[in-house]
Amino acid sequence: MKKFLAIILALCMVASLGVFASAEPAKEITLWTYPIGKWVDAETMDALMADFEAATGIKVTVEYLDYTSGDDQVNTALEGNAAPDLIMEGPERLVMKWGVGGYMADLSDLYEIPEAAGVYDSLKKACQYEGTYYEVPLCMVAHNMAINYDVFEAADALQYIDLENRTWTTENFIKAVDAVYAYTGMPVATVYCGGQGGDQGTRALVNNLYNGTYTNPEHTEYTANSPENVKALELLQSWDAITFDPGIVAGDEIQLFRQGMLNISWCWNASQQTNADNGEPGFTNDGSRILMMNFPSEDGKAELCGGIWGFGVFDNGNPDKVEAAKEFIKYFCYDADEVVKAVRASSFFPVRADVQGVFEGTATEDIMNEYSAIFLPNLGDYYNVIPGWAGQRTEWWNMLQRIGAGGDVQAETNAFVEAANALAAG
Amino acid sequence: MLGQKSKASKAIEFIVILIIALLFTFPLYWIVTGAFKTAKEVNSTTPVWWPYEWTMANWEKLMGKLKAPLFEISIPFSQYWSEDGAPIAAVTGATVPAAIRWMINTVFMAVAAMLLTCLTSALAGYSLAKKRFVGRNLIFTLIVCAMALPKQVILIPLIREMSSLKFYNTMAAVIFPIVGWPFGVFLIKQFAESIPGEILEAARIDGAGELKTFNTVVFPMIKPGVGALAIFTFISSWNDYFMQLIMLSSTKNLTISLGIAKMQAENATDYGLIMAGAAFASVPIIVVFIIFQKYFTKGITMGAVKG
Amino acid sequence: MPMNKNRSGMSRALVRRETTAGYLFLLPSLVFFLTFVVYPMVMCIITSFFDSNMGKNTQDVFIGFGNYIELFQDPIFRGALKNTFVIVLVSVPVVMIFSLWVANCIYDMKPWLTSLFRVVFYLPVVTGSVAVTVVWKWMFNNYYGIFNYILKALGIISKPINWLGDPKYALGCIILILLTTSVGQPIVLYVSALGNVDQSLVEAAEVDGANHRQVFWKIKWAQIMPTTLYILIITMINSFQCFALIQLLTSGGPLHSTDTIMYYIYYTALKMSRYGYGNAMGVILMIIIAVLSGIQFKLGQSDS
Repeated sequence: MKKFLAIILALCMVASLGVFASAEPAKEITLWTYPIGKWVDAETMDALMADFEAATGIKVTVEYLDYTSGDDQVNTALEGNAAPDLIMEGPERLVMKWGVGGYMADLSDLYEIPEAAGVYDSLKKACQYEGTYYEVPLCMVAHNMAINYDVFEAADALQYIDLENRTWTTENFIKAVDAVYAYTGMPVATVYCGGQGGDQGTRALVNNLYNGTYTNPEHTEYTANSPENVKALELLQSWDAITFDPGIVAGDEIQLFRQGMLNISWCWNASQQTNADNGEPGFTNDGSRILMMNFPSEDGKAELCGGIWGFGVFDNGNPDKVEAAKEFIKYFCYDADEVVKAVRASSFFPVRADVQGVFEGTATEDIMNEYSAIFLPNLGDYYNVIPGWAGQRTEWWNMLQRIGAGGDVQAETNAFVEAANALAAG
Repeated sequence: MLGQKSKASKAIEFIVILIIALLFTFPLYWIVTGAFKTAKEVNSTTPVWWPYEWTMANWEKLMGKLKAPLFEISIPFSQYWSEDGAPIAAVTGATVPAAIRWMINTVFMAVAAMLLTCLTSALAGYSLAKKRFVGRNLIFTLIVCAMALPKQVILIPLIREMSSLKFYNTMAAVIFPIVGWPFGVFLIKQFAESIPGEILEAARIDGAGELKTFNTVVFPMIKPGVGALAIFTFISSWNDYFMQLIMLSSTKNLTISLGIAKMQAENATDYGLIMAGAAFASVPIIVVFIIFQKYFTKGITMGAVKG
Repeated sequence: MPMNKNRSGMSRALVRRETTAGYLFLLPSLVFFLTFVVYPMVMCIITSFFDSNMGKNTQDVFIGFGNYIELFQDPIFRGALKNTFVIVLVSVPVVMIFSLWVANCIYDMKPWLTSLFRVVFYLPVVTGSVAVTVVWKWMFNNYYGIFNYILKALGIISKPINWLGDPKYALGCIILILLTTSVGQPIVLYVSALGNVDQSLVEAAEVDGANHRQVFWKIKWAQIMPTTLYILIITMINSFQCFALIQLLTSGGPLHSTDTIMYYIYYTALKMSRYGYGNAMGVILMIIIAVLSGIQFKLGQSDS
């Protein structure tokens, strides 16, 4: 009996070894993604990755990063030789930080495929550094702002807004905010500066108010101390209706806006407008309507900050993995059907004019169409590709804290520009 | 400042302590009730002291979102030959909500760190206290100097070292620096000093070997110290957020503290989910603490008093 | 050796045996200590003399004391050094006094009450700093936090205080949270220590007419001295390592008012990728802490 069992056991082992040996070594890659729409939602991701595995036989393990400690995690992983194969984020990290740092694989060959020709030129430009492509973009958005429609209506402040184009001049913006302030008696908005989260909102606000710029057109030097920006910051500093809050970052500001404690959020986009975590999308927690707006500017024409997200490949010394990762990018960025699914999951917009109907038939179709019609055309210069980007973000919120505490605007912006330019010069 | 404590002053003292105690219980109360509140209540701008309607929605989200295998037993040292430098799993458990795996990771990490620390420190502390050998003073001085060192100081070298040893993103990377941290040796040495030399001499004359002497004579005498050290190590590694933050990266390898911190960073708006996570992280260990309170406190007690 | 002429061969064998046994007992601990503490410390000291940055193609450049010179001109570093010491110098004595006071009040209550209070004060320790932080963040909230809610309801303040956003209060708030998460263990220790005080000595003193205060300071204080020293050390270690609260609540702000050396090292190394500079800070802190521990140890030695 014992012998019999032993033989069976041995047979099983041989059989399993045989199976093991005969099976193709399945390729496996890892993808780390920052929270970009539903690219952070495990259910959506599992479905996308299962389709990809069925089509190519490549298994993808997904890890989810956050904006608070995600950068540290990637940096320690790079230091620990444990970087992922694929990463999803924007050019300011993928190109300017890790690409320039020498960690990323050259993706130029992915720009030679016919489909790549359709990618908007400004995006292509952002995804390369000195002629080498480090990122293939998947989706994009223009960051806007939002107001509490019901409160603005009750305060009779809607008269200052061009409701059709969602624009306002700086003059009208001041009147509108003062009207709301008079009506509620509470600060209408706050310049959040507790950290770098969502700083595109505060940058866009300051730059737009008097049509200033963040960098020079060549993206080599910072211009935050220009007279236009100083004027804007001085306005914000002296204004009771708008406070500076070094205790919060954009995530907290959005929450306060949804709770009705603030009536303006500077950190908004299509993904926020369609977010249903806390209740009906497009409404605050107590049911007020959220209205998306362009940033105010002197001539009423806003320049919105762009958000670009796509994939980069870490070169970990294994050509097979790099190939598999490129396979992944081709599949999600260039396959006619898959790109639609991938972009839809991001809840942002495609980066190619020939990708159409991403949100057709979905619940968010109306909002997304409205967004592409009103806000996407106002996409401004993508200046995030200036060297020293990661470091200057810290300088920016620290500068806002000093100005909020009563610091001299000209002196503080000068200090910011000096520090940021030093970082840009390397 | 009073001479004999009067009844009145005792009563006042009691009330003051009661108020402070309420403050201490508040965070836990808020976490546990918050975990069952609806999004509306948890986001309310006037405090909702008690959930109006109890909901399980937050728990469903906590348990539904991320998944991970219940456990993985990997082949020892397999990271040195595997293709991607990660350990090869030999046995993998069923897929469960990631929060459960995080809990298992945390318990494993804290228990392993505790056992290893106690074992190595007991041996070393005894040796430093009772053995006379060259280099003893040098080692002891080094230990005293390194004892209070915050781990952030050696952050970068430690990451690099863990990566070249292929420990990065494994529990070993969190556990080993805790074990290497010399506070335990110092503590046990202070205890072992009080072991009378005659007893050791007697054991030797009886022909007991070094290990037998340690087992039968030394260990029972330093046991209270080891108890104190065990509790201290368990709690401090449970709360050692920093090492976990820099050493662990994949979802399946996170600890519960990291998991919650991540939720907080990712979903600043989903407060209910964060509360459920925090409740899940703290309630089990509190229950354990209440049940074993007697042993916990007894362990520390004799330890420090005799020291 | 002529020195050992009068010693027997037996005792030389004994010395050898002692040495071997001593090192063998020490070995397991020493392996971990040398590999995961001493070696990184040495590497830390070495890199602190280099301009070492992140990047695959970058080379470390030897710059001597360059990092240290920059360090002493860096106002943020000086601020962080100051904040670190403020945290330690405030929290250590407060923790010691508060926990001794609480322990002294509760140790002779009815056993179930003593247990209850002990558990309550231990709660924040076992709940863990990360979970506790979630609640504190809400309590300190500028717009609807409970502190502002209560203070406004009581009419003490008219305008909400931005606790974590105001450089005047932020560090205080951090210390307050740190206190609640650090008094648990000292209270448990003191309760047991006070319970173990030799009652016959107390009674004898009372017979001699000593009052409550005299009994406490003359008899009990001396007996709980070893506990006090132990608490002093663990509290100091805990306070120096305060990190999660700062990372999760303030990121060192506002206006660097909650930057500590530990957070600034983390920030320099991981956000700015300046390893050499971060390591130089580590070395400074290492020296300070080593000296402090040394002094504390010597004091402890001479006391007991």
